[in-house]
Amino acid sequence: MPEERRIRAPDAARDAEQDQEVLEDFKLVTDPSLAYMSLERQLSELLERVTEITGADTAAILLLDPERDVLVARAARGIEEEVREGVQVPLGRGFAGRIAAERRPIAIEDVGHADILNPILRRTGIRSLLGVPLVVEGRVIGVMHVGTLRGRKFEDEDVRLLQLVADRAGLAIDNAQLSEQRALTEVLQRTLLPEALPQIPGLRFSAKYLPAASGIKLGGDWFDVFELPDGRIAFVVGDVVGRGIAAASVMAEVRSAVRAYTMEGHDPVTVVRRLNDLLIAMGRRRSATLAFMALELETGELLAVSAGHLPAVIRTPSGETRFIGEATGPPLGVLPTANYTGETYTFPLGAALLLYTDGLVERRDEVIDDGLQRLAEAVAGAATQGGMSLADAVLARVRLDTSLEDDVALLAIESRPLSDQLALTLDAQPAVLSSLRRGIGRWLAAHGVAAEARFDVALAVSEASANAIEHAYGPADATFAVECRYSPERVAVTVSDTGTWRPQGKRERGRGMDIMQMLMDDVRIDRTDDGTRVLLTKRLGG
Amino acid sequence: LRGLELEDSDGVPVARLPADVDAANAESIGEVIAASFSHDSPGVIADLTATRYLDSTGIDMLFRLGERMATRRQSLHLVVPEEAPVRRILEIVSMSDIVAIHPDVTSALGAVRGDGAPTPAS
Repeated sequence: MPEERRIRAPDAARDAEQDQEVLEDFKLVTDPSLAYMSLERQLSELLERVTEITGADTAAILLLDPERDVLVARAARGIEEEVREGVQVPLGRGFAGRIAAERRPIAIEDVGHADILNPILRRTGIRSLLGVPLVVEGRVIGVMHVGTLRGRKFEDEDVRLLQLVADRAGLAIDNAQLSEQRALTEVLQRTLLPEALPQIPGLRFSAKYLPAASGIKLGGDWFDVFELPDGRIAFVVGDVVGRGIAAASVMAEVRSAVRAYTMEGHDPVTVVRRLNDLLIAMGRRRSATLAFMALELETGELLAVSAGHLPAVIRTPSGETRFIGEATGPPLGVLPTANYTGETYTFPLGAALLLYTDGLVERRDEVIDDGLQRLAEAVAGAATQGGMSLADAVLARVRLDTSLEDDVALLAIESRPLSDQLALTLDAQPAVLSSLRRGIGRWLAAHGVAAEARFDVALAVSEASANAIEHAYGPADATFAVECRYSPERVAVTVSDTGTWRPQGKRERGRGMDIMQMLMDDVRIDRTDDGTRVLLTKRLGG
Repeated sequence: LRGLELEDSDGVPVARLPADVDAANAESIGEVIAASFSHDSPGVIADLTATRYLDSTGIDMLFRLGERMATRRQSLHLVVPEEAPVRRILEIVSMSDIVAIHPDVTSALGAVRGDGAPTPAS
């Protein structure tokens, strides 16, 4: 029979003066000005005070990991190996586990006979233990306990004192934990969200990620834009259920997995199926919703796969909005047998597409249909004059519920309207070539140019651009310009760079020249001190 | 390497090239293919069925690969469907002077086995 006493709740009527004294002494460690210290350091300072105040030999703080329902030793005094060895106690078990689960102080006069899980407590020769829960706003965030090497019968007064200190410490720990977690999550988010959206000729991207109003709630939302091996452009928006570091780290895994499966050459439907298998296999008790779209630039064919994600909004060139890409399967990680399918839509020139996470449309005390309706209206009316991006314009019109504790990610894709001119400034990197070719193909297709002529122009422009890229030694952020003009009689393209033309460069460049001349009707090269311009012309029709 | 798939068809390496072979990836693709064939393989097949755009860098890579294999008495075979736009480019640069071009993998495999060392009768 464990030698243990149940302890009554602390008596409220006690010496206030003494309390004040204790708290004064304690202020130093819970002072917000110490917030620059790491949580570990604050806790160890705190424990030093605790042992002094209570006259104990050892002290420890274990914090609850709510994801796994375990208490993890975060700071210790006299029993430092607790932290070093990463002691973990399941909620509800052992000395600390029961304090947290039952949310009450527990004193043990003789450890020898008690249910102690942690071998370090025994090894250290601790005889008596007193522990109290760390409670903040009704949540148990951990346990603080003190121990003595000589047997000691803890009095109600000791309990009251330790609880007093624990209450004050709990607040400080909670704050420190929040800012620590927020800082970590923000770093994660910054690392994971694309720094710059890719340059795809004929498309304009804008995106936003907004952390939740209360900082700690950020975490699981992301978006991504990248090119598929077959040249299609992938748009991805996802939302991992849950908040904080745990959600953000699952998000990181899912986000990389999307790219990895895609890079292996799997089509979007297969990628989504594999992601589902992955999440289930990970056994992280995490689900995620995901919208995965792939746009064939030349034809405007848009494939949409949705794992429990809200539908995207498309705005047609005439200004009407509708929802596309309704969920074709449950969220990822829920159903091992889930079967996802793809739906095909058309994304015409002049249209706009918005992918987003639920934080954009959800409001307290409102059904989601109202939020979706509001979003559709916002997208319909969002004007993007004056340099405002579509993502910003939509956000401005939706008027987020700022009290909502959810983060928001949105990704807007605008297809530039049909025009006789196409002017592009591109990074001087070979990676831009594949989407350049398709962007030109899409533009020419919209003008009704036949497939063979589209191919010829796209490849010739690509050759001239490869030259421009090769010239662009020097600054890493060099760019080159492509200007295309269409008339029913001809397509004229100018590719200009600021480098010097090297006619006897690599021999494939000579071959590139041959190809340009074979594909186009006229090829002219203007070299000046400022750079090189290649003028390509192809006659159309007849 | 993105979109490049290597397979072995009864001792004949078959490399399926991605949709785009250009200045961004041609050199690496050439290296991967060159590393894939062994001395006892009579030839290598580069399958361009999925390839939509092949630029001069890609063409140069194929030429060099063909030359390199010829010095080892091996042969490079390209698979390009009749109607593929890539075929026009290969014609412009007279690729067929150096490398055999086939409409599908089956005929390419037949050609590789045919022009390899005679297989002992079993």
